[in-house]
Amino acid sequence: MISYFKKMSGGGQCPPRVRPSEIFWSWIGAFLGITPVAFLNYNLFAGSDFVYIIGSFGASAVLIYGAVRSPLAQPRNLVGGHILSAFIGVASYKLFYPCPWFAAAFSVATAIAFMHLTQTLHPPGGATALIAVIGSQKIHALGFWYILIPVGVGVIIMLTVALIVNNMAKTRKYPEFWI
Amino acid sequence: MNFSLLNECVQTLTDEDVLEAMKKIPGYLDITPSDFLQIYQIAFDHAVSRIKTAIKANQIMTRQVIVVGEDAPLVEVATQMAENDISGLPVVNKDRIVVGVISEKDFLKGMNDLKTPSFMRVLLQCLDNSHCIESSFKNLSAAEIMSSPPVTVETTASILDVASTMDRFNINRVPVVDENTKLAGIIARSDLVQAMC
Repeated sequence: MISYFKKMSGGGQCPPRVRPSEIFWSWIGAFLGITPVAFLNYNLFAGSDFVYIIGSFGASAVLIYGAVRSPLAQPRNLVGGHILSAFIGVASYKLFYPCPWFAAAFSVATAIAFMHLTQTLHPPGGATALIAVIGSQKIHALGFWYILIPVGVGVIIMLTVALIVNNMAKTRKYPEFWI
Repeated sequence: MNFSLLNECVQTLTDEDVLEAMKKIPGYLDITPSDFLQIYQIAFDHAVSRIKTAIKANQIMTRQVIVVGEDAPLVEVATQMAENDISGLPVVNKDRIVVGVISEKDFLKGMNDLKTPSFMRVLLQCLDNSHCIESSFKNLSAAEIMSSPPVTVETTASILDVASTMDRFNINRVPVVDENTKLAGIIARSDLVQAMC
């Protein structure tokens, strides 16, 4: 019992703060990555409620522009995590929509399990799965198209920007691996 | 085989050292210093055992082995050991198959009837009774005092196997034999030390 509470005391060290140039490139990347996605959602798809998904892409931006080397930020995880979670989210809604709280919890938990299983763990995938359940009627009406638009399109844009911007910085390289 | 001594070197790496290294690497590393230490320690152990199994006995053995035949008189054995300044050698038959090993300890055992022979005990006996060597001793042959069956290793044995063999049998040298059990070389403890450095 004591050892259980002892675990909560931490004891390890906090990793160091990154350099200013790293902060600069994270800002540039995130700005250029979210711009096209947000622009499309506010203009081309205006009124479609796709803008919900921006929340999930905001989280992806932290990883693919802010923690470039992280295993969680690699293309396999970015693409695989979102697509897989989108599918699980839509399927959860379709199966359990009469009980929304259950569908919501089930979608996120299952998304995590399947991302682990397929080695595509990407934290924003949890949001992508959740939005498919808790989103508006318009999002629900998309059905499995949700996987392609807005999720698939947004992911491709974000990935393209990551490839271009991250490799412009002298001390950055993206990706670490593809498959 | 435990690598505790080597591990001590690894464990001198502290969270502070890792933190300094992480600062030198540009970009955000999403691991904690203790994650790194854990990975490093396991990887280090793995590397050590990989090296220990990658190097084979025939790569570190001495090929020019000083040997004696099984019917060689003890004076010849002693002469070989004295002139080459070695404390033991393999005994081979006509086909160069190792039939035994003779070390200084085998001589001490053969010289008298002591249960636990050591140089000091034999010396004591000499000083006390002024008879150190049984008269029959001079007429014995190598085969009569050698340790047999001999502990040997194969040419393909890893140095990890060689080291644990020496440990288990508490010996300082081990003859290396080929697939036909013929003598191919010999490995002393010092050869093992050199291979690891």
